Parts: sequence; structure tokens; C-alpha cells
Amino acid sequence: MSVTPEEVRQIARLAELSVDEEHLPDLAAQMSRIVDYIAQLSQVSGGENAKPFIPGPDAIRLRADVVAPQPLEGKLSDFAPAFREGFFLVPKLGAFEGAEEDEE
Amino acid sequence: MTEVEALASAKATATRLGKAKRLNALLTPTTVVRKSLLAQAKEAHPSGVLYGMPVALKDNICTLEFPTTCGSKLLEAYQSPYEATVVTKLKDAGALIAGKANLDEFAMGSSTEHSGFGRVLNPVDRTRVPGGSSGGSAALVGAGAVPAALGSETGGSVRQPAAFCGVVGIKPTYGRVSRYGLVAFGSSLDQIGVLGRSVHDAARVLSVISGRDPRDSTCENRDPLRLPTVPERLEGFVIGIPKEYFPVDLNPGVRRACDRAIRALKDLGAAVRDVSLPHTPYAIPTYYVIAPAEASSNLARFDGVRYGNRADGVTTLAELYRQTRGTGFGPEVQRRILVGTYVLSSGYYDAYYKKAQQMRALLAQDFRNVFDRGVDLIFTPTTPTTAFKAGERTKDPVSMYLADCFTAPANLTGVPAMSLPIGRVKGLPVGGQFIGQPFLEDDMIEAAYALERAIDGTEEA
Repeated sequence: MSVTPEEVRQIARLAELSVDEEHLPDLAAQMSRIVDYIAQLSQVSGGENAKPFIPGPDAIRLRADVVAPQPLEGKLSDFAPAFREGFFLVPKLGAFEGAEEDEE
Repeated sequence: MTEVEALASAKATATRLGKAKRLNALLTPTTVVRKSLLAQAKEAHPSGVLYGMPVALKDNICTLEFPTTCGSKLLEAYQSPYEATVVTKLKDAGALIAGKANLDEFAMGSSTEHSGFGRVLNPVDRTRVPGGSSGGSAALVGAGAVPAALGSETGGSVRQPAAFCGVVGIKPTYGRVSRYGLVAFGSSLDQIGVLGRSVHDAARVLSVISGRDPRDSTCENRDPLRLPTVPERLEGFVIGIPKEYFPVDLNPGVRRACDRAIRALKDLGAAVRDVSLPHTPYAIPTYYVIAPAEASSNLARFDGVRYGNRADGVTTLAELYRQTRGTGFGPEVQRRILVGTYVLSSGYYDAYYKKAQQMRALLAQDFRNVFDRGVDLIFTPTTPTTAFKAGERTKDPVSMYLADCFTAPANLTGVPAMSLPIGRVKGLPVGGQFIGQPFLEDDMIEAAYALERAIDGTEEA
């Protein structure tokens, strides 16, 4: 397999995605199948000097640099999972720092 | 159409949507749609060019009237605080929004088997998939519940289900239609498209939703598309037939249907010429680097902090992110996020992402080479096979991805393309595809009008 279960675990962490341990071998097999398939691109030469393709208008139009209200029909609190006094609520910062230590 | 007729249209649509319920194509409850349609019919603009016309929307297009779920448990019951520009344009033209259509979660899939709210059935054969990811939109049009629906394309998600369900699907040029309010998947590829029961229905909806939008910087500063007249003949058109789209293992029935369509194009007076798009075989591997890479970035916003559902019982912010995303996203979305993160990670970027961008440039060069040599349009099959059985490809992601091998090149290179029914094989619809030059959708639609009139798209090939 070109992608190991350990690599899947590492990538899932980078992607902020929890993955069940028992699913790691299946995910590694599926990712290997995909990665092996897309690896055929490396066997094709050329393209290094081709004009890069960028879709869309040649020049991005800039918006006026002014503060304007968000064109929202509802309040932020209507769709936020947890919201109080103008802030989105998340677990405590202390807990966040603990999580960082856990990652190291 | 009078107000009385618009109300009758609303009632009839609600009834038809009710009858199509078994397809699982509509996510909005039919009672809710019925009530909304009747209210909209009373308030619609009678002078609008789409007055009284019901149009269903793929559920990754933001609306104020209905939730926008993207087919994901993570956004179940999410109510957008703004609506997409295309929705405003449809309403201004007098159209009636006929609810939200089921889709592969976050538009990632080719069979609409990856929705968080169950798979969609093909209206022609319920044991088969309707294609995807706009499978709900295609199934509703194919079942005759609505004359048109909006979908979105990243790799063929309008044209492929259109082909599988026997309807018309148009993907306009990148930048032709505003994407403001379309939930992003692959931002350099995404484009809103239209599914219709006929070329005319699809084209007139496209005409309404096209044109400039100051809220989308990737939308070109152009007037809306002007509809061409229905031509009697196609004299003066040069149509290229690329050999790479007719491989030896192409389904024989699909080949027969295409051969018949090509004969019809010649009979209509078009000059048909063999052409080559040599990098076509690399479109799918290129697509499955670029699209997941962009998806992994775009879907980073779904973290349980600002909107959507969040995981319960977590004590740290890192856990909140990971549990929300791990339990909220389905398996296909997770797979693509992982692949996208992998190809962008240090050590692999040059081997995959940079190489894919180089290949994308070569694919674009292929099309320029053909069009620069006097070819107006390219004609191909839309898909290599007819609709496959439900469950047939879910175990092997790569075999599922190959369902888009003839559609993804147009997304990678931004050119317009459309599918229309050109026959049936063992009762299953076959789609023929026109690929056009950037912003010349009118040529493509003109040829499709003529071909649609010249052949019976429901006849066995």
C-alpha cells in the first residue's frame, strides 16, 4: 500500500478530522487506490512550460474599500451553534492549550 | 400566463412532486413546497420571462425559504441568512422555486448515493443511479415533476446525471453565472448549471441566471446570454469528433447512439471533422488532485464554531473541530478531504498538485488547438456507459470517478458544455455532449436545438 494507516492518522490530524481506529486500514487501502491512480500524472512529461490555466476574468475587480453591513436576512445567533453577546462560543481557551500540548 | 394559470401551475407542480416522492429526489417536504409554491405564484412578477415556471434547486444553492443542507448531516436544518444571486434572478423573472433537490454530500459524487439523506432513484429504472452529484435535480426533471432545475458542476455533475436520466443539462462557461450563494467545493471548477426537459427549457433558464454580479469577482462582467433562434439547418458549423472520446471499450450502445447523432449532424449540413484532444486520458487523475485539494481548503470552514451542527460532549477546541467534522461528514467527503490534504502536504505538493496544474494547462491547450483550427463545436458521448446499478461502484472510488471521464475536461478548462438525449440502450438514456468555445454557449445551444429536432432522443439506438 502506498498510504499506510499511520499516514492516514497523521493526515486526518492535519485535516482536523477524527477517524475511528478500526477504519484506518480501510481508509488506507482506499487512499492507496486513489493515490496510485493519480500517480500516473508523474509519468507524463511536458507542461512545465505551458501557460498556466487560470479560470475566470483576466483581472479581478476590486471592491470599494469601505465598511458595509453584511447583507444578511437573519442574525448570527440564528444559525450559530452557541452564541452570546456578539461572540461565538467554543470550549475554554485553557482546554484549547491543553489540546495543543496533547498534539506535541 | 395569467395569475390563475400561475396558481394552476403551482398546484400541478406540487401534485407532481408528491408523485415523485419515492425517488427521494426532493429534500423539502412536499407539504412545505406546496404552501410555498402557492404563495410564490401570488407574488411572482407577471411580466417576468419565466412567470409561473417551477424550478427546483440543488440543495447547495442558498435560499431564504428553505434550509440549505448540501446533503450533509452537518448542515441538517441549516438556514442560510442570504440567498444566492441565481435565486434572486429566478424570482425576478417570475419563476417559482420548487424546493431543494437531493445531491451527493457537498456535491461530491457521481451517483447521488453519497447523500446524508439517502440515495436518489433513477426515474427511468429505479434499480439504477440517477448520476450525480445533481442527481435529485435530474431525477425531478426526468420524472416530469418540474420542467427545469438548477444543479452545480465541478466535474460533470449536471451533464452526467442529465445523460443518465434522459434530460438536457448545460454547464456554462466558468464565469458566465454568478456563484454567490453556491456552497463552494472546488472554487476554480465550480459552476452553476441547468437541467431541463428540453433544450429550450434549459436554455431560457440559463439566459435568466447568467450575467454579471458585483458579489462574485469570478463572474465575468458580461450581459446575460441571448438565446439563439431555432435553426433549420447547421450549414457553416464545423463540428469536431475527438478520437479520445471514442475508445475501443466504449459501450457499444453508446457508440451506436453517437454514430446516429453524428449522421444527423451531417444531414443537417454541418461539416464533421476528426480531431484530437491528446491529454484527455489524464483529465480524471488531474481532476482528482485539484478538486480534493480545493475541497480540503473550502470545507475547512465547517468546524462547528459558526454554523451547522457541532459535536456534543467535547472539552477542547481541537476535539470540537475533529469530532464535528468526523461525525458530521460522510465517508466520501472525508475521503476527499484526506486526499486533498495529502496532495497538498509537504513532500507531495510537487509530485501531485503542481503536476496536475501543469496537466490542466495542457488540457486547456488541447481545446485551444482544436478551436483555433476552425472547429466551432466538439461532439462526444457524455458518459462512457448508461446509468449503472445502485451499489455497483460504491466499493471502488476510482471506478466511480471514471463515470466523469468525458465531462471533467470541460470543468478543468472552463469551457461550456451540454448534454442532450440522443437515444436509448435497453431502455436506458444515452447523452450526447457538445463542448463549445468560451462564452459561445449560443452556438452550442443552436446546434443542440437542431439535433434535438432531428433525432428521437427516446428511440432505441
